[in-house]
Amino acid sequence: MMKLEKYLEVLPKSLWVFACNSGSCNGCDIEIVATISPRYDIERLGMKLVGTPKHADILLVTGPVTRFMKEKLERIYAQIPDPKAVMVIGNCGCSGDVFYKSYNLVGPVDNVIPVDVYVHGCPPRPEAIIEGAAKAVLKLEEKKKALMLEQSDFAKAGAE
Amino acid sequence: MWPKVVSGFGYWDIYVWLIFLAIACFFTMWLRNTGRQDYKEGTYQDEIYFSGNDVPEDGEDISVPADSAYWGFTKFFRPYYDFMALFHNGLAQDYLGYFVVFIAILTALIVFI
Repeated sequence: MMKLEKYLEVLPKSLWVFACNSGSCNGCDIEIVATISPRYDIERLGMKLVGTPKHADILLVTGPVTRFMKEKLERIYAQIPDPKAVMVIGNCGCSGDVFYKSYNLVGPVDNVIPVDVYVHGCPPRPEAIIEGAAKAVLKLEEKKKALMLEQSDFAKAGAE
Repeated sequence: MWPKVVSGFGYWDIYVWLIFLAIACFFTMWLRNTGRQDYKEGTYQDEIYFSGNDVPEDGEDISVPADSAYWGFTKFFRPYYDFMALFHNGLAQDYLGYFVVFIAILTALIVFI
């Protein structure tokens, strides 16, 4: 975040989103593509998918987390700068759904990284994803305020 | 202090160059300053993004050479290359022999056809 922007009360920019498929069947990913394509077109609001977590504010995760993807998902989450929020798209990522007891899964996404917004559906409709994004904005604003408080407390403690 | 150099293709002036350098430095620093500064040093946020994988220490291990783009081409001509490689034994005497034989063939073609 740039120097002046961090003093704003609201989120200074549109959400930039990094999507990670941690074991999805691709159904949810297709709905994400539908969300950014002309019919729903959330890109008109400045939201867009980015190619690296280092540019992202939101991590979209689709699918339950396979053992292969666990470490990678943790690393991707760690590479997103604060404040950040995680949205899980689809039943599999939210709860494991029909794959809950699969031998090859670590489990739902919240077994691996903290999740802020759950969007249910198999797959969820683009309207649901957009509503989830709106909730993620609120979550991010809360986190931004908490982060600012934390930094100011830290600065005060340093001054004392 | 420094003389103006006239080259015939415009001029080169040290002051103009220094002013340009100062302006370029200013814009470079301004652009750099607009970047995110709140990343955590010494964590994964310092590392490059490599699809969530460990960043390899040696890029050679995972790089794909450009000639791999022609793998179908080289595979198709593999028998030809193998055959031609047989002739390349490193002996200059043999190469000279091939040269003499091919010149003889070409001469025969030119003379008799």
